[in-house]
Amino acid sequence: MPHVETSPVGPPPPFDPELVPVLKVINEVVPPDAFADLAKARETAAAKAAAGPGLAEFARDGAFTVEERRVPGPEGAPDVALLLCLPTGAVEPFPLLYHAHGGGMILGDYTVGLPDALDLAQEVGGGVVSVEYRLAPETPHPGPVEDCYAGLVWTAEHAEELGADPSRIVVGGGSAGGGLAAALALLARDRGGPSLAGQLLLCPMLDDRNDTPSAVQMAGLGVWDRTSNHAGWTALLGDARGTEDVSPYAAPARATDLANLPPAFVDVGSAETFRDEDVAYATGIWRAGGQAELHVWPGGFHGFDLMAPHTALAREARAARARWLRRLLGG
Amino acid sequence: MKDLTVRLDALDPQAGAALRVIAYFDELVAHGAGLQAIVRAAAVLGAAPAGLVDEARRVRVRVGPDGVPGEPLASPDPAWPRASVGSGGGVLWLERAGQARPVDAMILERAGAAVTAVLDRTRGRASADAASVETLLDPAAAPQARAVAARRLRLPERGRLRAVAFHGGRPGVLKEGEAVPEGMRAGIGTAGPLAELPASWESARLALRLTAGGGPDDPGPRVVAADEAGGLLVLARAVTAETPRVPDVGALDRAALAAPWMLATLDAVAAASSHRAAATALLIHHSTLQERVTQAEKLLGWPLGTAAGRLRLSLALALRRLHQTP
Repeated sequence: MPHVETSPVGPPPPFDPELVPVLKVINEVVPPDAFADLAKARETAAAKAAAGPGLAEFARDGAFTVEERRVPGPEGAPDVALLLCLPTGAVEPFPLLYHAHGGGMILGDYTVGLPDALDLAQEVGGGVVSVEYRLAPETPHPGPVEDCYAGLVWTAEHAEELGADPSRIVVGGGSAGGGLAAALALLARDRGGPSLAGQLLLCPMLDDRNDTPSAVQMAGLGVWDRTSNHAGWTALLGDARGTEDVSPYAAPARATDLANLPPAFVDVGSAETFRDEDVAYATGIWRAGGQAELHVWPGGFHGFDLMAPHTALAREARAARARWLRRLLGG
Repeated sequence: MKDLTVRLDALDPQAGAALRVIAYFDELVAHGAGLQAIVRAAAVLGAAPAGLVDEARRVRVRVGPDGVPGEPLASPDPAWPRASVGSGGGVLWLERAGQARPVDAMILERAGAAVTAVLDRTRGRASADAASVETLLDPAAAPQARAVAARRLRLPERGRLRAVAFHGGRPGVLKEGEAVPEGMRAGIGTAGPLAELPASWESARLALRLTAGGGPDDPGPRVVAADEAGGLLVLARAVTAETPRVPDVGALDRAALAAPWMLATLDAVAAASSHRAAATALLIHHSTLQERVTQAEKLLGWPLGTAAGRLRLSLALALRRLHQTP
């Protein structure tokens, strides 16, 4: 049996049949390499955000009390905005999902992915704190992750004041947000920071080297291909991208020690750039003696759960997350 | 999927949206998507619940506009837009309350074609179902094989079942409370447990011989249940290809040649409680019926105004059908 690294890389795995026509529509607006043109990608995202729900909609008919707080940022940096969505009228301390949004480190705001985070919170009667971190390339590493960490520290310190249970904080996010969540778990461990109940890593962006078999296979296909990924990591790391000089807090795939991390949930599509780095991260956690649940959804493209939420695969993916969260926080 | 619906609405409803719908279902078919995925696409693109029923293949699917599968319905509301699918009398529909959207017809047409393609592709499964039905109706089948066939067809192993003989020879099985799909010509067998389906099948085939096409040349019921046929079943069993025709049947055939209304009129007279009721059923004036009856009595050679005469007519009509399908 040859080692997997030495076997030739085959053709791209097929997309799920139900996802194909949706991807066609998406690619008309967002081609696989869309994010290489940052100005245009931001323009598209801004148009989508303008058409999206307003803050009031996140209250979900009063189920959540929504409020923005500005809290101290990293040393010498501006304050960080947190969007607090807390369950209205909770009598018991509730769990919190500390959410970092996606957008390849280069775009998005704290409302991106928030509806799905709220869905998950409602499954466990919890709240969501979504962080507005500064974006690359205007703010390179470590700015974005340090913004997220400052917000996490504030949230943990003020959990009781918010009505939340400080022992049941889960960090999570999708794509770049998943990478940031993984980095928060590493930072919290290494700095003796907040104790976390879990890390929810949804198709996380973990590896700046951008050279896994899945990155190669899926070039020019799906959403966020190798070209987009190169643009995102270069925005965050500049010339350091892909060199020896990259911190695991920027690219958690660089971490050599994955021991003593909170239980992880990792999911990813089989037909996306991040497949192999995400599978490797879960494997690394197991090898280090930790706990991880890994789902590779066959034929899923990057973000299929958000962009094709009606499909059978997306519904199964969301249901699996909810089940993990209930098991994690139920005990 | 809100995004996609919004985009569909924003497109030129005549050309753009139609092209999008065509491409969408073409992609699904080209990549081998299943029935539920196709019905879901119809629901999502149509922004309304969509349903599919194909009783012959025991397919029932219903999906909400958010993609979530719902409780299947037996048949659509008559007001909803629909399309026929497959060769087994299947129906696909959109549960559109109020104003139809311009793309509804296109969605149903393309989704219907996609569903038909999938049903054709999975005909292997339909033939497996046919083999299972055959096992259930075979008196020589072992109990174990019978149980496996019932599970494959999702029939309850306990509970009462009926065999169905469809016109043309296709067999079927109905669960308690299930009806034959509307418009089908069929004989329904006696109700009983799984093990008695072969006997039910025999009675269903007899009942089928008592059914009629329903048109003016062959008036009568399109569906007959063995449980309600009474002594006519004995008659059906007795009449074979070798049974000589009684003169009354010949008289009926001769009378039928005399006027296009003859058989339908005689069928109504035999079925109704009075000549007045028969006239109402035929949508003709009472005096017209009286004239027709007088002419028929002359051709048949027996009176129709008495109970005995009407019984003789009923038996002649039944025998005529039985001779047609020996």
